[in-house]
Amino acid sequence: MDVKLPRLGEGSESGVVVGILVKEGQVVTKGQTILELENEKAVAPIPAPAAGTVAKIRVKEGDRVAVGQVVLSLVVVGETAAPSAPPPAPAPVSTPVANTAAPETPASDSAASADDSAEPAKSIHPPAAAPSIRLLARQLGIDLTKVRGSENGGRIVLADLRAYIQRLEKLATASKSAKPAAPPAAAATPAPVVESIDFSKWGPVTKKPLSVLRKVISHRMTENWNTIPHVTQFDNADITALLELRKQHAAAYAAKGAHLTLTGFAIKAVVAALKLHPTFNASIDAATGEVVLKNYFHIGIAVDTDGGLLVPVIRDADKKSLFELSKELQDLATRARDRKVALEEMKGGTFTISNQGGIGGAHFTPIVNKPEVAILGLGRGAWQAVVREKKIEPRMLLPIGLSYDHRLIDGGTAARFTVDLVRAFETFTEADVRL
Amino acid sequence: MEPIKTDIVVLGAGPGGYAAAFYAADMGKKVILVEQDKRLGGVCLNRGCIPSKALLQATKLITEARESAHRGITFASPQVDLAKLRAWKESVLEKLGGGIKALAQKRGVQVIQGRGHFEGSQSLRVENEQGQQFISYDKAIIAVGSRSALPKAFDLGNPRIMTSRGALELEEIPQDLLIVGGGYIGMELGTVYAGLGTNVVVIEALDTILAGADADLVRPVAARAKKMFKEIRVKARVLKMSTVGKQIKVETELDGQRREELYDRVLVAVGRSPNSGDLGLEQTKVEKDEKGFIQVNARQETADPAIYAIGDITGGLMLAHKAAKEARIAVECILGEDSRFEHVVPAVVFTDPEVAWCGLTENEAKVKDIPITVAKFPWGASGRALTYDRTDGLTKLILEPETERVLGVGIVGHGAGELIAEGVLAVEMGATARDLAECIHPHPTLSETVMEAAETFFGHATHTHVRKSTAAQS
Repeated sequence: MDVKLPRLGEGSESGVVVGILVKEGQVVTKGQTILELENEKAVAPIPAPAAGTVAKIRVKEGDRVAVGQVVLSLVVVGETAAPSAPPPAPAPVSTPVANTAAPETPASDSAASADDSAEPAKSIHPPAAAPSIRLLARQLGIDLTKVRGSENGGRIVLADLRAYIQRLEKLATASKSAKPAAPPAAAATPAPVVESIDFSKWGPVTKKPLSVLRKVISHRMTENWNTIPHVTQFDNADITALLELRKQHAAAYAAKGAHLTLTGFAIKAVVAALKLHPTFNASIDAATGEVVLKNYFHIGIAVDTDGGLLVPVIRDADKKSLFELSKELQDLATRARDRKVALEEMKGGTFTISNQGGIGGAHFTPIVNKPEVAILGLGRGAWQAVVREKKIEPRMLLPIGLSYDHRLIDGGTAARFTVDLVRAFETFTEADVRL
Repeated sequence: MEPIKTDIVVLGAGPGGYAAAFYAADMGKKVILVEQDKRLGGVCLNRGCIPSKALLQATKLITEARESAHRGITFASPQVDLAKLRAWKESVLEKLGGGIKALAQKRGVQVIQGRGHFEGSQSLRVENEQGQQFISYDKAIIAVGSRSALPKAFDLGNPRIMTSRGALELEEIPQDLLIVGGGYIGMELGTVYAGLGTNVVVIEALDTILAGADADLVRPVAARAKKMFKEIRVKARVLKMSTVGKQIKVETELDGQRREELYDRVLVAVGRSPNSGDLGLEQTKVEKDEKGFIQVNARQETADPAIYAIGDITGGLMLAHKAAKEARIAVECILGEDSRFEHVVPAVVFTDPEVAWCGLTENEAKVKDIPITVAKFPWGASGRALTYDRTDGLTKLILEPETERVLGVGIVGHGAGELIAEGVLAVEMGATARDLAECIHPHPTLSETVMEAAETFFGHATHTHVRKSTAAQS
């Protein structure tokens, strides 16, 4: 069978192959990762849709592949290999349809199909669409071969045409706003002149290409930094008691396979503060001019990986115990470092935590992760001489930096959030931690 | 003489021409319709579709009456009053032709009777008994159609050697009729004459009658024609014809064997030629192919920016409904719309039984190496077909294997011409086999065969049992 690139989810219809994890002739199990694909959002593992033997790999590292494109041929258990190199061109009648539904493919909701960007698979037949739709497309100057049909048999209906137009509009406005002269308020920053500098003039250098993930990070950081007026609020949380609690319970957690970390506590503290300050758990919808307050708490966790920053999301953190959070954190961080987090798992966050404590450093100013409106940066806790009740005491203080979108959040609100957040860090009780 | 000025002139008042003229007038254009015949409607109405169907319907009764004997109903031998039959047929044509004329008047379309001749890209001269007139126009639409081809070797000036035009005049019921050409015209008119009692012999040069249609659709027609006709001779040729008294001596060849036969009449139905000869097209930029068909693009534009062409004169499938659609396209393009011909054209052969298809055929898929899956439903399993006593039918769907989209539909059987409309809708709408299977079709009707063909694809048609794996993959 031909293995085609499955739908990757909203807005990502193609990607660059960054890793091929199988070899021709290798036996794979169903669900085993065969490729890693990097796109605008992250690196996604592509699983084998069935068990079998890899007959032919049709892509190489660095190739950009689109959804529906054949990435490799698999001789499924029970099938015999096609003789020699040329792959079986007309696939067996029933398999291709099944192929496209790969295990991790999310049910395509209308929002997702509205974001389809890749062209549909090429067909020798004209696009399946009613004469009225073809007429409309012609009047609008739309090439229907570029529109993905959502109906049975790939039939294009009015909704598909509408979604396609909306996507074109989005792309058009995106490329417009990307032009340097766009925001009149921003003091006309001239477009950076891209000029290659010969650094070897001054000493030996090593060159390597910028990875796709690095480019994505670069693009998103620039975008977030340029479009969000950032303010960072600093404070310290006294985590002496918190660490005492951790000390008492770490062993019990470890016995059940969980690593009780400060990040786990931080999620709990953040959710408590978010509940008191809903604007921190919101987004600005520029298209409709609305503030979207979310009634769910999905917390993004910045994970430092060899390839660069990834932010997997813990869903419904408010409904999970510290133990559950600790387990999930551990799992997500491991998979993120192995780059095995599905794209879907990196979406839908409402607030992000970046904990550098494990590495070191104190206060820093994180950049808000759009479309979220705030991010918490944690430094390394350190013993400090603190005056309490007119006595100097050694206390463990956690440096916290809260960056927020000043368009939506005022300084007063931020200060109040910080106070509540610090209080949450400082008031963990036995009951919060006990298993 | 001062030329008449108009927005649009339409040359030819067949189903393409009058449709173009009427639509342009409805859109507010000043239109002149030029037609050389006294009666409007073109070949379709006067010498084609309509008279042939009138005669087919009339003679069908004779066949049906005969075939009802085994159902316990017998009739005396029919008495055919040819003059009365001709008059009835003529009355149908008169009614329709008059109707078109009245519709033209209501719309303010000026009809000029006469022969049109281009004097330039935007000037037409029309000649008739009264003299000549000049028309100066913005745009012209050529819809002059085609006529039955009569090869020179057969053109002896003998009226007993007829084309379809003569055959439809129905001057007599010949005892022995030779039909040269087993295409749709030959087979339809053969059915008429065989119904009237003539001994019909069909000679076809190719290896099958109705060449072009899928073999499984032709089979029931061939089987019945073998019973109704005296003989169908394929891979045979007519070498020579000559007049012998009141008969025609025909020299034929089959498998290298020559023989001479005598026929009372001969119908030559070997194709159609474009009427592009005497139009003065050399005064325009219009280009023709080597056969004389005017070359147009999907917008029906000729090489001359002021001139459009539609219908038979542009070649391809010579069908009235195709011409009518092209008429719309041409007018819409003249009105500035970005229209183009991209539509599924159904074909219907009104033989007994009828054959109809639309979209992709199995033949075409084979030639172009297009992967397809075919789902078939034989009418032997249709209750309605049994009550018609006509189980010699087949409904099949040509499907795209991956998407199960309906790419084509082929039907042979009683009333196939009516049934194919659903196929056209399915193909145009991009419907899938599932869509057709899901739609409730009324019982007991032949339309159920479309649904059941789709169901055979999924392996669960109620009235037939076909395992999915054997559901005709090709």
